[in-house]
Amino acid sequence: MEPKGIIDLSMADLALVYGLVLLVIAIARYKGVGQSGAMLWASARMVIQLLGLGYVLHLVFAIRSPAPVLLILLVMGGFAVQTVAARVKVRMPGLYRVVGVSILVGCGGATFFFCTVVVGLTPWYDPRYLIPLAGMIVGNSMTGASLAAERLSAEIRERRDEIETALCLGAPARMAAREALRNAFRAALIPSINAMAAMGLVFIPGMMTGQILSGTEPAIAVKYQIAIMCVITFSVAVTSYLILLQGYRAFFTPAHQLRPVDDR
Amino acid sequence: MEMLRLEEVSKRRRNPLGQEVDILRGVSLSLAAGHLQVIIGPSGSGKSTLIRMVNRLDEPCSGRILLGGVNISDLDPLILRGRVAMVLQKPYMFEGTVLDNLQRGFAFRGLPLPGADDPRIASVMELCRLPIDFLPRAARTLSLGQQQRVSLARALATGPELLLLDEPTSSLDRPTGDRLGETLRDICRMGRLTILMVTHDLRLAGRVADRLAFLEDGRILEQGSAEDLLNRPASAELRRFLDTPNEGVE
Repeated sequence: MEPKGIIDLSMADLALVYGLVLLVIAIARYKGVGQSGAMLWASARMVIQLLGLGYVLHLVFAIRSPAPVLLILLVMGGFAVQTVAARVKVRMPGLYRVVGVSILVGCGGATFFFCTVVVGLTPWYDPRYLIPLAGMIVGNSMTGASLAAERLSAEIRERRDEIETALCLGAPARMAAREALRNAFRAALIPSINAMAAMGLVFIPGMMTGQILSGTEPAIAVKYQIAIMCVITFSVAVTSYLILLQGYRAFFTPAHQLRPVDDR
Repeated sequence: MEMLRLEEVSKRRRNPLGQEVDILRGVSLSLAAGHLQVIIGPSGSGKSTLIRMVNRLDEPCSGRILLGGVNISDLDPLILRGRVAMVLQKPYMFEGTVLDNLQRGFAFRGLPLPGADDPRIASVMELCRLPIDFLPRAARTLSLGQQQRVSLARALATGPELLLLDEPTSSLDRPTGDRLGETLRDICRMGRLTILMVTHDLRLAGRVADRLAFLEDGRILEQGSAEDLLNRPASAELRRFLDTPNEGVE
């Protein structure tokens, strides 16, 4: 099948689809079910942010230099660190360092492996590949790590009796928190596992849809989708695991004591 | 021979309003090996905080706690908790059978797991008055009283020197609490174990204690034999506490 040129959307087309959002906002207001303000704010943010991103990408693609690409990756990573750290509801020494290193190792490692070893980008910083792929990897890992951090706080709060019983029986902190850590890790991986399991049956994933719409052969789009899902799963697992491995320590003292709730 | 000594132990903690409050104020206590010492006092007097410090689930702000003459803050907490077992107020059963629960203390310390036919298992089951055919039963299906006994057996299985009990009868009805009291006496005598228990259950304290101490507002106001304290209280605070209806049947 010959690749066809993509059908562009005019501003009028965009205004038409934005009308759908305005329609549900109006209905929500009329029926008094709430969320109209949130929908308006979020949809306005989306338009502004994506337009901004579009211009930045256009510029970066034109410059063809590694510096702006690395800057974008840095901003992406910084935002992810900030989002995950905000979810860790404990006073944790070196929180930003822990989250930063975990994201650097998990997401950075996965992106580097995929772009250089698997895809073999030339030049290595080719923004057309590196930025969207890194964006997908960092975005998914950020969600997974946030879920892990949030779940860990809740699990340790809920499992206080279990953890203290284990400590009384001579368990080190990590062993006492084992179930909490397992559940937090599971929470991090559930979106990736569900997405992989449902892919192709329940929905056609975003990247594949985008490639097909832009004229890529479906067989190639499928291969990319499989590859990116494997890389995302790896990145989510490594990033979350590293955060949990460091994060649980914040709930305990060095003497294997569970910190009181008011100490956090 | 002295097993445990508390010297001027104090603890301050921040309350939910952010104010620093004294939980314990210079508590001193001595416990001889093989004795059963009970600390009584109203809710909020600092009993649980005190007992949690003895196996380092919590740390004092000042003062010393000596186990066999050694300051426990110099001991590895994991090794200390092997010597000083503790049963918490609310019995928590790990998933699995009663035997799985009894093996937990060994598993946590990386020790070989005793089987159902191990004499240590049979001995603690007997000591805690648990029928041996309970071993394969799912621990979480047992009654609260039975779970409290499994907690005791689990704590004793690894052979501690000192057993700490935090309000062991608080969730039990009176007959079950009485039976547990008898079990504790047996454990102390037959198991040659030293026990430190905190409770506001005066009935239990009167039945089992060799020595009694009365703690109120973070201070030990009286200590001596159970008979002396319960029958001839010297302080107005203890008299008031003893006269308070329903203490111990919470």
